[in-house]
Amino acid sequence: MGMLNEIENIISGSEGGKLSAKIAESGGEVRIVPHGNKDFEELMRMLERNGFALMSLFCVQTSAKEFQLIYAFEKTGHPEIAVVHRRAGESASSVASLFPSACWYEREITDGFGMAFEGAFDGRRLFLHETYPDGFHPLLKSFENRRIECSRPTAEEYAFKKMEGEGVYHIPVGPVHAGIIEPGHFRFSVIGETIFNMEIRMFYKHRGIEKLAEGKTPEECIGIAESISGDESVANAVAFCMAAEKIGGIVIPERARRIRTILMELERIYSHLGDIAGMIIDVAYPAGASPFFVMREEALRLNAELTGSRFMKNYVCIGGVRKDVSTDSAAKISRWLKEFSARFDSAVKEILSFSMVVDRFEGTGIIRAGLIAPLHLTGPAARASSGEMDTRRDRPYAAYGSIPIRRMSMKEGDVMARFKMKAAEIGESARIIKACIGGMPEGPVRADAANARDGSAFSVVEAPRGQNVHWLCVKGGVMERYKARTASFCNWQSIEHAVIGNIVPDFPLINKSLNLSYAGTDL
Amino acid sequence: MNVISRIIGRKATEDFAFTDAEFEKVGLALKKEIDGAFGRSLAIREVDSGSDNAAEIELVNLNTPHYDIERFGVSFVASPRHADAMIVTGAVTQNMKIAVEKTYEAMPAPKLVIAVGDDACTGGIYGNSYAVLGGADKVVPVDVKIPGNPPAPAEILRGLLALMKKIRTGKITAPSAGVHRMPPSKP
Repeated sequence: MGMLNEIENIISGSEGGKLSAKIAESGGEVRIVPHGNKDFEELMRMLERNGFALMSLFCVQTSAKEFQLIYAFEKTGHPEIAVVHRRAGESASSVASLFPSACWYEREITDGFGMAFEGAFDGRRLFLHETYPDGFHPLLKSFENRRIECSRPTAEEYAFKKMEGEGVYHIPVGPVHAGIIEPGHFRFSVIGETIFNMEIRMFYKHRGIEKLAEGKTPEECIGIAESISGDESVANAVAFCMAAEKIGGIVIPERARRIRTILMELERIYSHLGDIAGMIIDVAYPAGASPFFVMREEALRLNAELTGSRFMKNYVCIGGVRKDVSTDSAAKISRWLKEFSARFDSAVKEILSFSMVVDRFEGTGIIRAGLIAPLHLTGPAARASSGEMDTRRDRPYAAYGSIPIRRMSMKEGDVMARFKMKAAEIGESARIIKACIGGMPEGPVRADAANARDGSAFSVVEAPRGQNVHWLCVKGGVMERYKARTASFCNWQSIEHAVIGNIVPDFPLINKSLNLSYAGTDL
Repeated sequence: MNVISRIIGRKATEDFAFTDAEFEKVGLALKKEIDGAFGRSLAIREVDSGSDNAAEIELVNLNTPHYDIERFGVSFVASPRHADAMIVTGAVTQNMKIAVEKTYEAMPAPKLVIAVGDDACTGGIYGNSYAVLGGADKVVPVDVKIPGNPPAPAEILRGLLALMKKIRTGKITAPSAGVHRMPPSKP
């Protein structure tokens, strides 16, 4: 049964068939427009009850005082996306009690558009920190993007949740941390050495990426998509281009699909190598991390040789890729992978035979499987906690449709499981790359992308950290609205749960085992 | 043990299969310049004011086996209180402005500032975004700019070398220029 049929059944099966909504399917998206607010709320309850997960939520301004809220859902077993459209004025009812992951999205919409959410359990500002003036809502069309003057904080100080009791004390950490890492704030409430509560505050790196894209041609925005998160630049460039290609009706050549796949898997390899090395550093074993850093450097150099950039920037384009990969380069990748895999496996084996590492990894920072659906956790973090979602297999894109992707899942949900999952994924990535090179057809690597069309489309990719969702709306040949949501945006919220009951010195390790992108969250 | 046998003798560590002649050359020149400018070593505090995180990866790489920048007298320190210089990556966001200023204020003289990456140098792709103030020099005085998206480790090293040369030759005269900021020593 397809998703369209399932949703039709859900709607007709609603209490006494009271739910009234229009449904249509096109291009892998099942669009649902409930008639009234009551219908909308009933639909939300039904979707939640039937195992649909909220994968994105954002707002689009349709006229001076009218908005459209767009809710995107997915369900295991369906490659389609269910997209619920809802008209809204200055306020709307919150869905965060049904879908807790909606909390950040709703706060984001309040900041961006000034829309209030009734019944929301958290109404604090999200990406607009105290420095921004009251009444400033940058995503409104009436605000023309320009540099603004912010004086000293005008808004009230951010209210962290109050944690009080005998022996409870607080450790504020950040935004500037001790290591060479991105900025964010962690507010620990601690009893002795044990973390009793931890609250994160992000968005220090909010650069206004969504507004920045508006008014530019899709071609001009690829660099913007790449800068969402430097170490996910291929994943985001591919996601952006896939949506643009969907709108434009552009079919990219098979060779370009293969090349994109190779780049995305190389990105996963170097990204996971960094995570693995980082985890070992954080148990105070830098010598053990060295082999992984050495391998990551080799991967970065391979990237540069292949694309001219160590982070493979400025290579993916609408219609395919900018340059072909030579036979020599492909052979070089194959040779490196062959030699790398054996070295990598033995380094992992050696690390996991070291009791100090095992002792710190096992049982630390457990993410319960029950958090996956409400927080919409994806990627290796979810797969290490019994999750099975993998966009490459569930919703194949690039060349993934022609290469079988192994289903990988572990139960433990601790740092060790995440370490092992990332290590296993590196092996899997190497296998995928080899398969891509093996069956690489000759031919062009870029389709003609000249005839631009207007429209809107979703695209979903599996970045190293998990599922990234992009939505583009093109009007008059330029970007009307751009919404990108990386896996980190959702996965960050799991860390507040993972650290409870752990000791403060294990926090850096738990954080590293997730290695979430601050830039990719803050946008 | 004489000097020659120290160089060619067997090391306690494993052999490295890689050498990068150009990087070594710049590194040794840098060490010499740091000696000239500081007498000992250069301590750097890194602050990400809104980068896309690729510059952080390259800065971390400077400490990994291929580069091992500590050999050349450069260390990354955990607090601005311990730093001679501050590296800023990314355009400065509205939300990070105060943190960047406070980090700068917390640094003792000579308070050098290095902008790493296109966005930190000029504001880069963020142009007139409401959310950024522009490059690092909109908030703190910048002594040297290292462009790139992001600059590779060798490029960062060359930028540090340029900074040290500027100090030695007295070309840094801005108020941030540490050597000029230190109280004159009394005979």
